[in-house]
Amino acid sequence: MAVNASPSPILSRPLAYGATSLGILALAWVLATSVLGWVGPEVLPSPLAVIARFANLIVEPFAGAALFGHVLASLERWSYGVFFAIVLGVPFGIFFAWVPWFRAVVNPVFETLRYIPPFAWVPIAILWFGASTATQAMVVFIAAFPACVINAQLGVQHVDNILVQAARVFGADQLNTLRRVVVPVATPSIFTGIRIAISNGWMALVGAELVVGKTGLGFLIAQGQQNDSVSTIFVGIIAIGVLGVLIDLCVQRLERRLMPWQLP
Amino acid sequence: MLEPSATPKLELRNITKWYGPEGTGVLAVDDCSVSVQKGEFVCVVGPSGCGKSTLMTVGAGLEEATHGEILIDGKPAGKPGPRRSVVFQKFALFPSETVAQNIKFGLQMTNVPRDEQERRVQQQLEIMGLTQFRDSYPSQLSGGMQQRVAIARALAMQPEILLMDEPFGALDAQTRTILQEEVQRLSHQMHYTVLFITHSVEEAVYLSDRVIVMSRRPGRIKKEIQLPRDVAWKRGDIEQAAEHPEFIEARREIWALVREEIMAA
Ligand SMILES: Nc1ncnc2c1ncn2[C@@H]1O[C@H](COP(=O)(O)OP(=O)(O)O)[C@@H](O)[C@H]1O
Ligand SMILES: [Mg+2]
Repeated sequence: MAVNASPSPILSRPLAYGATSLGILALAWVLATSVLGWVGPEVLPSPLAVIARFANLIVEPFAGAALFGHVLASLERWSYGVFFAIVLGVPFGIFFAWVPWFRAVVNPVFETLRYIPPFAWVPIAILWFGASTATQAMVVFIAAFPACVINAQLGVQHVDNILVQAARVFGADQLNTLRRVVVPVATPSIFTGIRIAISNGWMALVGAELVVGKTGLGFLIAQGQQNDSVSTIFVGIIAIGVLGVLIDLCVQRLERRLMPWQLP
Repeated sequence: MLEPSATPKLELRNITKWYGPEGTGVLAVDDCSVSVQKGEFVCVVGPSGCGKSTLMTVGAGLEEATHGEILIDGKPAGKPGPRRSVVFQKFALFPSETVAQNIKFGLQMTNVPRDEQERRVQQQLEIMGLTQFRDSYPSQLSGGMQQRVAIARALAMQPEILLMDEPFGALDAQTRTILQEEVQRLSHQMHYTVLFITHSVEEAVYLSDRVIVMSRRPGRIKKEIQLPRDVAWKRGDIEQAAEHPEFIEARREIWALVREEIMAA
């Protein structure tokens, strides 16, 4: 075998496409701002200006903290909200699908609640928890919870009944049927739910930080606007996007580890 | 030899099964009685949709009969359990578990001692020619291999009764022939008590001691045909068996009965 065999096509192709499209975007940005000057720096700062501001924000506190501090604050709230959404939502969804009477009883309430946008809860969250981590975590939770429930439920409902019959034939009780057959088979769907929950939670968090709180990336953006610093806003926006992608990549990785039995 | 008067190992007595409400739902099986003696291999044949799978699902205890009862050794069979193992047409392997884990599943659920579990898994892997696939997942195997795993999983339970619902129906012709011959060999060696569902008349004649022909839906028992037992032609491969006059005669008779039902539909 040649050592320098052509790189695995599964990985390299999307990576190459991704790099190309990002590169084109960056090029357009440079052209529009620095080279051709179509848009002024007060509308869209040049990449260089944003990078300079980024370097600056790393070392120098702005809106109460350096960039890293804002990132940590956001991640902390987001983690709490998403953590509780997953550990409560996934079992809830499984139970929902497995126990018909429970579904019949709870479904109307759940369906109604889930059409209330997460931000509608901000005022009540502030009343309950004040302008604290708990408030933003609650908004994240509300944004993330339904996706966990619904996808876990769908995953369980779509498990072929013949597998459940087979589990019964071979002596499994309800708990073992769930543990060894139903939940593993529903795992891809559960993970889809978790990934949606994670991004919903992230978006809701930044939204909540725009209105409440004294730290976080959303707050950073809001303060950038207050101080007419467009480049600060862009640093915030890009940081939010990049962090979102990184989190999702971590989850995908975990997913592949947990399900070696899945066809690629 | 079998004593016809002995209490059957498995008896499906006057089974009627309605899906949905009785009288207005679907009548799948209508007053069917089937009994299987210890060590006997019984095939049920009938046109597609006549209620064969329903009969097996009820016989396995997976569905309640609307009327009638299921008896093992003359006593109510109750819930599914280790006395009855099932091989499903669509394999029904647990996709997140390896071949060995699938085979071990029922042993763990019924609290077979650990070293005994290992021993039986190893034994079944060898019998079914699966040793090299021990740690593979079902999705990595061909249909024929998957069905071998399903058979191994059922046999590892050392069940008193084996229920098989068109186990070779989803396989290609060559794989099916090989597996038919292996099941035939195994059942002659081990004297399993088997209720085997199929729509293939040849398969029924080759494998079984007795063939039960069902009518079109709602399924009733149309006729039972006793086949010669312990004859040489049944122990060779299926191609040779199919040339034997007794085989040809039985196949002709049974096929005529099945054809009547298909044509009348
Ligand atoms: N779960 C079910 N609900 C309603 N009808 C069913 C169900 N299962 C089977 N049937 C109906 O019962 C009849 C017999 O089905 P089945 O036992 O699967 O036949 P076979 O195995 O002989 O092809 C068919 O008409 C089928 O549509
Ligand atoms: Mg069937």
